[in-house]
Amino acid sequence: MSHAHDTTAPLEHVPTGLDNKKLMMWLFLASDCMFFGTLITTHLVYRKIYENVGVDPIHIFDIELTTASSFILLMSSLFMALAVSAIHKGSIKSFRWNLVGVIIFGSLFLAGQVYEFNHFVTHAGLTISSGTFGSTFYVMTGTHGVHVALGLLWLVSWLCYSFSPRFNAHQHAIDIETAGLYWHFVDIVWIVIFTAVYLIEYV
Amino acid sequence: MSLSTTKTAAPPKSAPHEHDSSKAARSNLGLVRPDHTTGWKDWLTTVDHKKIGAMYAIFSLAFLIVGGVEALAIRAQLAFAENNLVSAETYNQLFTMHGTTMVFLAVMPLSSAFFNFLVPLQIGARDVAFPRLNAFSLWTFVAGAIVINLSWIFQAANAFGWFTPIDGRTDIVPSAGWFGYAPLTGDQYSGIGTDFWIFGLQVLGIASVAASLNFIVTIINFRAPGLKMMRLPVFIWMTLITSFLIIFAFPPITVALGELMFDRVFGANFFRVDQGGQPILWQHLFWVFGHPEVYILILPAMGIVSEILPVFSRKPLFGYSLIVFSGAVIGFLGFAVWSHHMFTTGLGKVATAAFSLLTMAIAVPTGVKIFNWIGTLWGGRIKFSVPMVFSLGFIWMFMMGGFSGIMHSAAPADAQQQDSYFVVAHFHYVLIGGSILSLLAGIYFWLPKMVGKMWYGKLGYWVSATVVVGLNVTFFPMHFLGMIGMPRRTHTYLEGTGWQPMNLVCTVGAFILAVGIFLFLWDLIRTIRKGPPAGDDPWDGRTLEWTIPSPPPSYNFARTPIVHSRDPLWAHKHGKASLRIGSVEPDPHGIHMPSQSWFPLLASAGFFVLGLSMALKQAGVPFCGYIAIAGLGITVLGIYLWALEGPGGFHVHPEETNS
Amino acid sequence: MSHSADPSMDREFLLAEQKKYFTFMNLAFLMTALTGIELVIIFLPFPGSILIFGSLVFLSLIKFIGVIFWFMHLIYDGKLLTLIFLFGMVLASGTSTALLFIFNSDRVDQTLPFYEEGIIAHEAGPGGH
Ligand code: HEM
Ligand SMILES: [Cu+2]
Repeated sequence: MSHAHDTTAPLEHVPTGLDNKKLMMWLFLASDCMFFGTLITTHLVYRKIYENVGVDPIHIFDIELTTASSFILLMSSLFMALAVSAIHKGSIKSFRWNLVGVIIFGSLFLAGQVYEFNHFVTHAGLTISSGTFGSTFYVMTGTHGVHVALGLLWLVSWLCYSFSPRFNAHQHAIDIETAGLYWHFVDIVWIVIFTAVYLIEYV
Repeated sequence: MSLSTTKTAAPPKSAPHEHDSSKAARSNLGLVRPDHTTGWKDWLTTVDHKKIGAMYAIFSLAFLIVGGVEALAIRAQLAFAENNLVSAETYNQLFTMHGTTMVFLAVMPLSSAFFNFLVPLQIGARDVAFPRLNAFSLWTFVAGAIVINLSWIFQAANAFGWFTPIDGRTDIVPSAGWFGYAPLTGDQYSGIGTDFWIFGLQVLGIASVAASLNFIVTIINFRAPGLKMMRLPVFIWMTLITSFLIIFAFPPITVALGELMFDRVFGANFFRVDQGGQPILWQHLFWVFGHPEVYILILPAMGIVSEILPVFSRKPLFGYSLIVFSGAVIGFLGFAVWSHHMFTTGLGKVATAAFSLLTMAIAVPTGVKIFNWIGTLWGGRIKFSVPMVFSLGFIWMFMMGGFSGIMHSAAPADAQQQDSYFVVAHFHYVLIGGSILSLLAGIYFWLPKMVGKMWYGKLGYWVSATVVVGLNVTFFPMHFLGMIGMPRRTHTYLEGTGWQPMNLVCTVGAFILAVGIFLFLWDLIRTIRKGPPAGDDPWDGRTLEWTIPSPPPSYNFARTPIVHSRDPLWAHKHGKASLRIGSVEPDPHGIHMPSQSWFPLLASAGFFVLGLSMALKQAGVPFCGYIAIAGLGITVLGIYLWALEGPGGFHVHPEETNS
Repeated sequence: MSHSADPSMDREFLLAEQKKYFTFMNLAFLMTALTGIELVIIFLPFPGSILIFGSLVFLSLIKFIGVIFWFMHLIYDGKLLTLIFLFGMVLASGTSTALLFIFNSDRVDQTLPFYEEGIIAHEAGPGGH
């Protein structure tokens, strides 16, 4: 392995034994908790405390569709976990198929969100300018959607790169795992949004 | 350029490795890597933490001057009652840009300069964890800073009649205060100045968070063998805590600015009162960020002072673990006191009492630190060098600011002080008397390491005296002005208020302070140009950075040190033989150096395009929406090229070249 | 190039990954079931909304923990990562709770004649502006 040291340059011994990229991703996710926390809080403050929404969410929400979306994102998370496991085992083929699963389910989720937004605008007349509910709802769920889209871009890039002769399961497993962490985080944000934004309306 | 802290490593003599060549290698993309370049190309593509630190310092000092000029204009306007030197509109722009510039473009990046320069050196590392990300942080900071300040250029263009926003409003420079309270920032009440402010700050936030993630990973994972957490220099601890504050405090302001952007650009209603928006929400989100932010400004300063005092008292820091612990407590409690900026908004009894108590509580760890610093001085053989004089000034002046802070923490008293000049006095004592004095102390202390030149003459003492005198003459009377009712952010005041004499004193003080800063810059420049050689360890230092040559070579440590105690160099020089600094056997391949790259700069340039065109889009300039998307595209392109070029790298062989 | 023949991939490692596979599968089934239960719960004809609210929070908490500890490997990984992430979570939830609390007492008394059904009377119009 004469070229081992021009990859991630493990010059310094690592006192904690944690990979740098993974550590950084966890730090970023911790920071992102504050980010989504603020968005969700804004929504709850306007929806639950000031209540001056103009529209009644129950009439426009389609909770069955949203539940299906939650299930879809959950499945994508499962495939992601399997993809990471596969790449650690070094089986690139299985990694690719699982990644394709993540990408399909992720795209389905996004499609569901596009459908939902479109439906709300055209049928319920809910726009970003409809009181505070329109603003908080679209900006919060939209920001989550952008996170999903970025994650998809990232994973599609890895899928393409996995066909490159430079791709090396052993060396890139940590990068895949890092991307996977991001993907799972997007899933848990949705778990919270599903409860705090959708289900809570029916209580 | 004389500030070049490092020279590109001399070409290695033997070539045990394919990349070992003084000729630039090609990246995975087939492009030539900008390694071994010189001049401006080297500076634009560098990934060396020392050069990046130097650039942070240069930019922040430049913005310190910009912010200082704005401050002088403010003080000139207030020198006399019913003065009309600048219009009320311009006055608003001046104090808004002064605050924004000083906080985000002067003090924060100057702290960042120290983080960059010192973190790898003090922990015995080759560089930060992600060198290219570090370059990206620097250039993104520059992009955001330029976006905000370009508003002055457009304002000037407007004055000449070359540029008029589509809505005809002429407030092109931000004018709603550094905290941008809603609904003043709404599109009904302010023009594109607010857009410049939003997009500039948003870009700056990306830069700060990226840099902080990098420093946390570096400090956790790149410590030299034996450098356990509780052996870290206090400055490193404070860097770590500050970085945590940044990654947790910036998301709320990012969201708040994003919501404001949606209000202004896409017609959302977050802060539109007529549609149910609550301006008070802005205040909460801003201060959830804003209070941790003031600790982001002061903790690095506390770290610097904690490094300097032991060196010139020639004894170890008193109560090391207590200082570290109280730093962490300050950082944590810093998230639980934000509403003390909002006592007069009617928070309700419980919340007011709770925030009042927590604010008082946070003064305890602050006081603990002050006692520890005094304990460090106690019984020491004190040497009144210039960095030491600044540090002593810091302790005293910062304490004064702390006292008025505690006065603010009592909600009923604060009802009298809120939005008056008393608050202005408070935060200038903690920011100038605290942050700036300590940052100046740090520059006097570490510049010899950075550029290899030593200060000479007595000018440094004159600088410290002028700055401290100027600071007190300017801000001490403001306590009284506040108490007799002068409000903050007032363009002018009436003849009969009785505020005139003290305001004139304040203005005179501000100019004294400016003279002090001017003398400082002079001292800095003459030292860099003609200072005598500093040597490795000019101050009889205690930490690892003083074990290597000044300026440090590009690879920092020829051999990674092995540390056996706190204050390793002190122990090495004066302690038991078992505490001597050891060294790791060098790798026969040489020291791995990361390749330089254009792509961090490219990615940051995309943010510049994005920020500027979004602001101009709001002014109705055609095609700006598309240009903004193109800007985003440039950033994405930059990131892809960055990922695909591969990390690269080459090796240097310091021991061969030296011997 | 495939690394399945890498000598460092010993049997133990492969067995552990095999076990993980079943863990992941079971977890996914469990979470699917929980999502289904959530959907059913909200349509239960219960008057006790606190109870329903509580169980919704509880269910999503289980899903949350499932993802972070197993899918995201926290349980197999360094403790420091858990600490960092939970710190962010605690800070975010604490801030959120405090804000909701403060806003709750900030709400102006809506029984004042100024308000009609929670909407500022003279400004209540159709949405949009
Ligand atoms: C003993 C510690 C401190 C306490 C108890 C304290 C308390 C306070 C309080 C209660 C206020 C609000 C005053 C008002 O608006 O009525 C305030 C304002 C402020 N403090 Fe402090 N403070 C302390 C230290 C610091 C430090 C270390 C810094 C920064 C380096 C700082 C920077 C500021 C700033 C910038 C403001 C004004 C913000 C604005 O309204 O624009 N404070 N402080
Ligand atoms: Cu504060």
